[in-house]
Amino acid sequence: MHLPTLTNVLFAWSPMIVLAPFIAAIVIILFARFNRTLSMLLSVGAVAYCFLHSCAILNVLYNQPLLNPASINWDWFNSQSFHLSMGVMIDHLAAVMLLVVTTISLFVQIYSHGYMREDPGYARFFAYLSLFTGSMLGLVVSTNLFESYFFWELVGVMSYLLIGFWWHKRTAAEAALKAFIVNRIGDFGFLIGILFFLSSTFGFWVNHPILMFSDPQGFDLVGAIRWGYSHGTLTELTLTGISICMLLGPIAKSAQLPLHVWLADAMEGPTPISALIHAATMVAAGVYLIARAYPIWLTPSQTLDSAGLAVIAWVGGITAFVAATIALTQFDIKRILAWSTVSQLGYMFCGLGTGAYTAGIFHLFNHAFFKAMLFLCSGAIIHALHHCYAHDSQLQKRLNEVSLSDRLIPPDQDLRNMGGLWKYMPITGSCFLVGCLSISGIPGLSGFFSKDDIISSAFRYTGGGHELLSALLIITAGLTSFYMFRTFFMAFFGQYRGKEEPHKEKISVMNLPLIALAVPSIISGYLGANPQWLPQLCGISAPTTLPNLFGQFLHWGPTAQFESANLQIMWISIAFAAGGILLAYMAYVKNFAVNSWCADKFKPFYTLSWKKWYFDEIYLWICQKLVLRLFRSLWNLIDMTLVDNCVNLSCFATLGSGELLRYSENGRAQWYALVIFGSVATLALLYFFIRP
Amino acid sequence: MVPEHLHLLTILLLLPLAGAFVIGVCPGSWSRRLAIYLTSAMVFVCAAAATGFHPGQVGMQFSEQISWIRAPLPVDYHVGVDGLSLCLVALTSIVTFASVLASKNVGENRPRLYYSLLMLLTASITGVFVSQDLIQFFVLYELELVPMYFLIAIWGGPRRDYAAMKFLIYTFFGGIFMLAALLYLYYQLGLLGAGYQTFDMVKLATCSPMLGKVVQLVACLGFMLAFMIKLPSFPFHTWLPDAHVEAPTPVSMILASLLLKMGAYGLVRICLGFFPDAIVGLGTGLMALGAFNIVWAAIACLVQDDMKRVIAFSSVSHMGFVTLGIGSLSAAGLNGAIFQMISHGFISAALFFLVGTVYDRCHTRKISEIGGGLARQMPAIFYFWLLASLANLGLPALSGFVAEATVFYGAFTSPMAEIASQSAFVHTVIVVAATGIIMTAAYMLWLLKRLFYGPELDKWSGHLSGMKAWEVVVASVLCLFVVGLGVYPRALTDRYTPLADRMAQDAASHLTLGMRSYTID
Repeated sequence: MHLPTLTNVLFAWSPMIVLAPFIAAIVIILFARFNRTLSMLLSVGAVAYCFLHSCAILNVLYNQPLLNPASINWDWFNSQSFHLSMGVMIDHLAAVMLLVVTTISLFVQIYSHGYMREDPGYARFFAYLSLFTGSMLGLVVSTNLFESYFFWELVGVMSYLLIGFWWHKRTAAEAALKAFIVNRIGDFGFLIGILFFLSSTFGFWVNHPILMFSDPQGFDLVGAIRWGYSHGTLTELTLTGISICMLLGPIAKSAQLPLHVWLADAMEGPTPISALIHAATMVAAGVYLIARAYPIWLTPSQTLDSAGLAVIAWVGGITAFVAATIALTQFDIKRILAWSTVSQLGYMFCGLGTGAYTAGIFHLFNHAFFKAMLFLCSGAIIHALHHCYAHDSQLQKRLNEVSLSDRLIPPDQDLRNMGGLWKYMPITGSCFLVGCLSISGIPGLSGFFSKDDIISSAFRYTGGGHELLSALLIITAGLTSFYMFRTFFMAFFGQYRGKEEPHKEKISVMNLPLIALAVPSIISGYLGANPQWLPQLCGISAPTTLPNLFGQFLHWGPTAQFESANLQIMWISIAFAAGGILLAYMAYVKNFAVNSWCADKFKPFYTLSWKKWYFDEIYLWICQKLVLRLFRSLWNLIDMTLVDNCVNLSCFATLGSGELLRYSENGRAQWYALVIFGSVATLALLYFFIRP
Repeated sequence: MVPEHLHLLTILLLLPLAGAFVIGVCPGSWSRRLAIYLTSAMVFVCAAAATGFHPGQVGMQFSEQISWIRAPLPVDYHVGVDGLSLCLVALTSIVTFASVLASKNVGENRPRLYYSLLMLLTASITGVFVSQDLIQFFVLYELELVPMYFLIAIWGGPRRDYAAMKFLIYTFFGGIFMLAALLYLYYQLGLLGAGYQTFDMVKLATCSPMLGKVVQLVACLGFMLAFMIKLPSFPFHTWLPDAHVEAPTPVSMILASLLLKMGAYGLVRICLGFFPDAIVGLGTGLMALGAFNIVWAAIACLVQDDMKRVIAFSSVSHMGFVTLGIGSLSAAGLNGAIFQMISHGFISAALFFLVGTVYDRCHTRKISEIGGGLARQMPAIFYFWLLASLANLGLPALSGFVAEATVFYGAFTSPMAEIASQSAFVHTVIVVAATGIIMTAAYMLWLLKRLFYGPELDKWSGHLSGMKAWEVVVASVLCLFVVGLGVYPRALTDRYTPLADRMAQDAASHLTLGMRSYTID
């Protein structure tokens, strides 16, 4: 009997990380919903606790790396033939993700206190935020695929609720519905994938909790794949099929082609939500799930040259490019950031798909900080400009009533109404600049370190077409820096183009989180760097793969080392990024007529980008004109016409035959005698002929 | 622990039956209060039975058997519960309690008749779930038609005559086949030997599997037709939307959450319990039918303009999961099917109640006439709607998810899917059924959007009242169970899992004969 050490206590209480936000949410919903301050304090307090606990866990893991994940399991649904369990599993990947989620949640919740201060749904907002945080943390620490699916759906529904938070806006209602249904398509694939996997490895899980990610005795995903492969129930082809079905889930959640359409419209939700859910945490859950269940996407013998990974790589590469082209022409500041999120998530997919496991996660890590910060900056701008338009009741009414397909940009989010904001909001402006530099991959800031690793890994990719894949990513890097600096210059440079001038910015609860997040946006990249790496970059020493802090901490299975960057590729991508910035500078600060020239000369491309490659139009047409119309006619034909008329017809037939038979009951004795005699005669004849 | 000799089940059966008489003779102003007392007494009796219940045992508990008629047919008064019955009886008492509470407005018109019919209905439903004698089961199964017919025909909407008659004829049609199958079964058992001739359902569960395959199939189909109509399943489902739309709110609640379960209960208890050979033969077909129901009713939901019809068709869709689960013949599938019965009982009752609250305020059920924006004026109703809708579309941590996930799991790992010649077909069926989760989300949330989201409309502003206290109580009671069962399903599953596992094992062992070897560890 030994005393519990701090480490043991930390692990034993790890379920509290998930439960604390849920408890806070329940308390807010049941008791504190009329008290704004109390509900805010509960929510922020819970997430602050989660943050501290996660930091402590990270510290413990850093000092004593875990060989096997620490996990706690409870039976959730038991039957003779199967055990579904729920629990908490802490390993290095989960610890990194816990840090990301709790940090961003904490800052976003503090920021929300300022942003939502005047909203009548303040307490409700914090209740939803807590529920979301709890679900997201549950997803992070899931012990098995089934539990992941459980929390996967929960974060989806919280996203639905928060997108539709302003339910009086028609656009918000449409966007929420769209987001949920598109995600449901992904969940459908995810579920089918899980079930196919289970049915092919059914014999393996007998008497063990199913679908565990990791198990000391080997009853986990890797073990199941090996078992299925050696027993012949799981072939390479079925595993590919399973992994592609299951991939639909991450594709929808991380807004990858072709299920990317929901994310830009999800910007109808309040901006803190866009920062937390639709930039940093939930949308990255797709990437996280791929990393978590990585064995499924590998070949049965756990090598990297699988079809599943190739699909991930190409989906990611193409999405990165398409989303970046769409972002070029948009004017809604939040939607530009949203398309940029889609594009960056494409990078992460591509990283994981080309085998750069660590680089993919590292990009997730870096991206979370700078993208959340960028969104919070845009929120600060919107908040500052909002009061210029708030008293225009005609406009507000119109904004409530327009539909998504009208694409009316609220004036406080429209880049064309901004300009010269640096003068009014220098803090926000500098933070935004840091974010832009970081996402563009300018050396020295965090985005640079992870992005170039991914591009290099795409270049090294052996699955075919590596030139095209890396070219896509490099061009995307150029596009990214162009549209980010286009946004930056349009918002902060030049003359203010709006109606009333905004107030000058003061240090407040809204820009402190910005500053706090700017710090990791600058430095988090150095976790993935090694001091000896600089001479390599300058060509002084020969390039080798160097260990670094992040890679060592994450250290996982087949890709234990941290991928080194390819120097030529790196210089090319830096050149593209710099070119993008230069072009944006020429077009939007020096006012060279670059953009109008492009819009004229390349009209079809401009329209394609502005119309978002027509995905929405096509999907809407399929849903409304094709599917719903088909359903309506089918239902009318089968249910209303065939089935119901059969029923009614049989009723009429009964009535009719009754009417007819009535005439046989005429009360004449002779008639009855005739019927009796006739029947007896018929029966006698029948008996005579059919006698055995 | 509650001793067995307390006659709990008889009390449970007599409470509403006596209540029907007492309410009938007492003044009308007492009716509602009496009904509330009676149903809450039923909830207490159920709770007592649940605490005294031994979850580990598979057989009947609290059994009471009194010989009633000896000739020409041996008919007993025989009641008893196992895990399955107990869960359904508990559901019955809770939902009846909620629907009596919800009858506040409806019951003002001819309260004595209304509440005593409601009590009679409760008695017959409870009776169906606790009966262990086939004749008694049949009589109570048919008895339910009488109060239900009048409840729809007197307190219903504009087309109530058509709907009530359609309901009556449909169910009666099924009842005739059930009677025929029942007598056929008795006759065939007589051919096995005099000792086998019985209506005791406990004995039947061991005797009737000895019958020949064809005999089992014929008898099973007779029963199945009756249960499929009640469930309801395509193509016998068209009575349900009509009956639901015309029935008053509390009656809709009982109809959806309890009456449909009688069909599902019959499928498990009689079709699966008595005729495993027949079900083994029909299994793949049942799975296909279940999947078709899920998808077909979801399609129907997407094209309705009447909110009550949407919810009614969604019941058909969700009962498809029961058929799918039973047809899979796997332990998980059967467990999921039973869970779905209970879960859908609470969810559909909540949804129908909420439809009623909106109808009471807007006086229309047409979605296009309501036009949206209700959330501003009825926030509490909106939140309950939201919760019930999310439960209905199978959100984790709410009860619908547990049922659907387990049914899908059971279907995929079904012994049917392991027969090589059927495997591809079964897998296709499940994938088709799983598209239902997309469509369910689409129609539930689309409905929610068209009712509650969007800018507030001028025609409603100032006309709609918020939720009244009694409405909050009804909705909270139902939602409490939806959340509770979703978060901690073992509270329910521990009661019936041994039984369901045993039944699935028995059925699977019949599959072994001749087809393949299958063992459950």
